[in-house]
Amino acid sequence: MVVRKLVSIVDDDESVRESLPDLLREFGFDVQAFSSAEEFLLSDHVGQTRCLILDIAMPGMTGPDLQRELKRKRWAIPIVFITANRDDRVRPQLIEQGAVDCLLKPFTETALLTAVNAALSQS
Amino acid sequence: MKYALSHVIDTLDGLVWAASADGLVDFVNRRWLEYTGFGIEQARGQGWQKAIHEEDLPALLADGAASRSSSEPHDTEVRMRRFDGEYRWFLIRALPMTDAAGEVVGWCGLNIDIEDRRRAEQGLRERERELGELLDRIPGFVATADAQGRHDFSSKRTLAYTRRTLEQNRGLGFIGSLRPEEQEQVKQLWLRCVAHGEAMDVVHQMRRYDGVYRWFHTRVEPFRDESGQIVRWYGLLTDIDDQRKAEDALHQREQELSAAMQVATLAQLSASIAHEISQPLSGILTNASTGLRMLSGESPNVEGALETARRTIRDAHRAAEVIARLRALFAQKNGATEAVDLNEAIREVITLLRSQIQAGSVNLRTEFHDDLPTVVGDRIQLQQVILNLLVNAIEAMSEIDDRPRQLLVRTERENGDRVRFSVQDSGFGLPADAVDRFFEAFYTTKPGGMGIGLSVSRSIIERHHGKLWASANDGPGAQFSFSIPISPPGMASGPDPDTETTPATTDAVRPSRNS
Repeated sequence: MVVRKLVSIVDDDESVRESLPDLLREFGFDVQAFSSAEEFLLSDHVGQTRCLILDIAMPGMTGPDLQRELKRKRWAIPIVFITANRDDRVRPQLIEQGAVDCLLKPFTETALLTAVNAALSQS
Repeated sequence: MKYALSHVIDTLDGLVWAASADGLVDFVNRRWLEYTGFGIEQARGQGWQKAIHEEDLPALLADGAASRSSSEPHDTEVRMRRFDGEYRWFLIRALPMTDAAGEVVGWCGLNIDIEDRRRAEQGLRERERELGELLDRIPGFVATADAQGRHDFSSKRTLAYTRRTLEQNRGLGFIGSLRPEEQEQVKQLWLRCVAHGEAMDVVHQMRRYDGVYRWFHTRVEPFRDESGQIVRWYGLLTDIDDQRKAEDALHQREQELSAAMQVATLAQLSASIAHEISQPLSGILTNASTGLRMLSGESPNVEGALETARRTIRDAHRAAEVIARLRALFAQKNGATEAVDLNEAIREVITLLRSQIQAGSVNLRTEFHDDLPTVVGDRIQLQQVILNLLVNAIEAMSEIDDRPRQLLVRTERENGDRVRFSVQDSGFGLPADAVDRFFEAFYTTKPGGMGIGLSVSRSIIERHHGKLWASANDGPGAQFSFSIPISPPGMASGPDPDTETTPATTDAVRPSRNS
């Protein structure tokens, strides 16, 4: 049996949590979705996650907060940020902090697949 | 007879004289001599002429000659010199004395001192002239009409402005100096006021001599006698053209500012709007891609594809809703007055700001009065004010990291049929030196701000007959509130019992300003 690689999604937007997993499963990945950074950290999927798709703006712990927290805990999970807010200053900062990419919503499946594959090649 | 006729003549309060048929004086009474200081010999013949002012003598001699040839009496006013050299005005009345055959046998006369009467008349003329000058100097036009409302007098300024004659204006002729399309309306109003004995108060245009129409505010009031009967009408016409133009310019400026605020608010909102629309678009794109993939595999997953299609439709509706809200907020024409549910209007604004609230890590709490009455007003403008105050509050907390960013939005019912909206933040508060300047146009404490939001917000609230103010919190942060009446003044239910005694007013000829 082929072990599918786990891609985890953290986004407070429910429509992202219901649509994105289906697409990623079509690509052949195993997928887990979480509504908050806190929920992800408390789950037992952190260790298996090969790629983290992470929303930037969330109530409570934000995407960048989670990025710092993972770094502090030395969890080397490649991160693909997704955001609906176009702020040209944020993207270079996140990539400098180690993010693989930062996708602006709405993004195409090609852009998503390219970013996820880039992340998996790092892990 | 107990007394002589000469005694009577000497006692009469007048200067009495008699002359021969050819006009030579042969008698004057004692009072004549006392007044002039002449002796009888000095007065005889033509000697009396020395007592007459030299300027008045020729006219008197001419009147005397005319009377002698016609045998008719004459009245002549002359100055006579008193014994002390002072001249006083006298009325000389000369009468012919005739015999039984009707022949003139001599002349007699009475000179009456009319100095006091002449002075009184002159004083009256001077007062009339002063009054005329006063009317002509009043920086307004004065006009009067008789009890039946027929115009009968205008001050010089009025006639000079229109370059019309009093004859042209007499009666209802003055209507001809108004703008043709206003003439009938003003005429009917005037006739109605005259018929009911009510004061008239009207704003209208009046043609200047050069053809330019200027705005006037005209007030006409009845003057009544002691029995309450109207005797005359007095009117004052004030040129308010410059004032009107200034008001119009101000109104125009306000509208420009309001438009500028829309642009500024739109810019502030663009991040929120992008977020609101990108979310459903992202869902549509992802679901459609997924659906395609589910159907194009070797064993098509129809169940899954149907689900993604349903999600696509739902997300498209979400995007359409966002656009509909935006359209309602910005594209609707100004000036529409309706019953506004303030709670609902606030909820709509909050929905638009959701992502900005979230991105700013702001903890929003709402305390809406459950049974808040609707207010009559312009929903779009009120929402712009609410939006502006909320955006300000969120921005005031953007650099606060040592305490929770708390936003409290509240609606309340106030006494006196008013409702209050307030937004309280835990931001940097009110700078003490700035609090007086907050509502000035172009004053801002924000680096990227245009400083027009609060001044336009205040003018919007004032147009709703309300007030907008800022106050400091007990703790950190500030509170901005506005309070507006449920229904604007003049829209109170039921007729006002006092309306019958107030002046009839028409403003129909000026465009409505109820924006």
